[in-house]
Amino acid sequence: MINNPSHPKKGNLKTKDCKFTKAGFEYIDYKQTDILERFINDQGKILPRRVTGTSAGHQRQLSRAVKRARFLALIPYVTENMR
Amino acid sequence: MDNNQRQNRMKKDFYEMTYILNPVLEDEKLSELVGHINKLIEDNNGEIVDVDEWGVKKLAYDIDKKSTGYYVNLYFKAPAEAIGMIERNLRIHDDVMRYLTLKYDSKMMRHYELRAKGELPLFFEEEAEEKVEEED
Repeated sequence: MINNPSHPKKGNLKTKDCKFTKAGFEYIDYKQTDILERFINDQGKILPRRVTGTSAGHQRQLSRAVKRARFLALIPYVTENMR
Repeated sequence: MDNNQRQNRMKKDFYEMTYILNPVLEDEKLSELVGHINKLIEDNNGEIVDVDEWGVKKLAYDIDKKSTGYYVNLYFKAPAEAIGMIERNLRIHDDVMRYLTLKYDSKMMRHYELRAKGELPLFFEEEAEEKVEEED
């Protein structure tokens, strides 16, 4: 969140529509970690739908993609708080 | 029925596999291993479609006390029975740190084709806006 300018908790809360639907995504790829990183917080947790506005179907796909990426060590399971 | 069974035996699904190799190995040994795994798939009636070696990448967390890994991403067609055999071999292999095999459904296939053509939908708003401007 700290180094992510488009993070939903950083004043980008207004968008209530699903970014994946808007962009026309059919499948969320675990290899696109740059996208996945926008939907996890600084601890590495998946952000809830009420924060990101993602549609139910895409949220399910997203969580699956995040979990696959975590397994392959592309994104962390947990990050210690830097404070 | 007999005909149907024969068709099932012929049927090959499209799979994607990503695996992580021990980065401590020398380059020669790594390419040998990649060749070995490709051969393993072919020996089990598979066809390699595409092999994409990402090379040594930093891991998000340590696996077996190693902080980097040699990633290989590959696409292949194979009958369903082959997957068990391939995965068993990878599991036994000491230098394969992780592997993930995914069977492609129609949505993922379309995604793959779009990616091959470089026409994936843009996600970031900045990019999307630029694209619209170009189109105008």
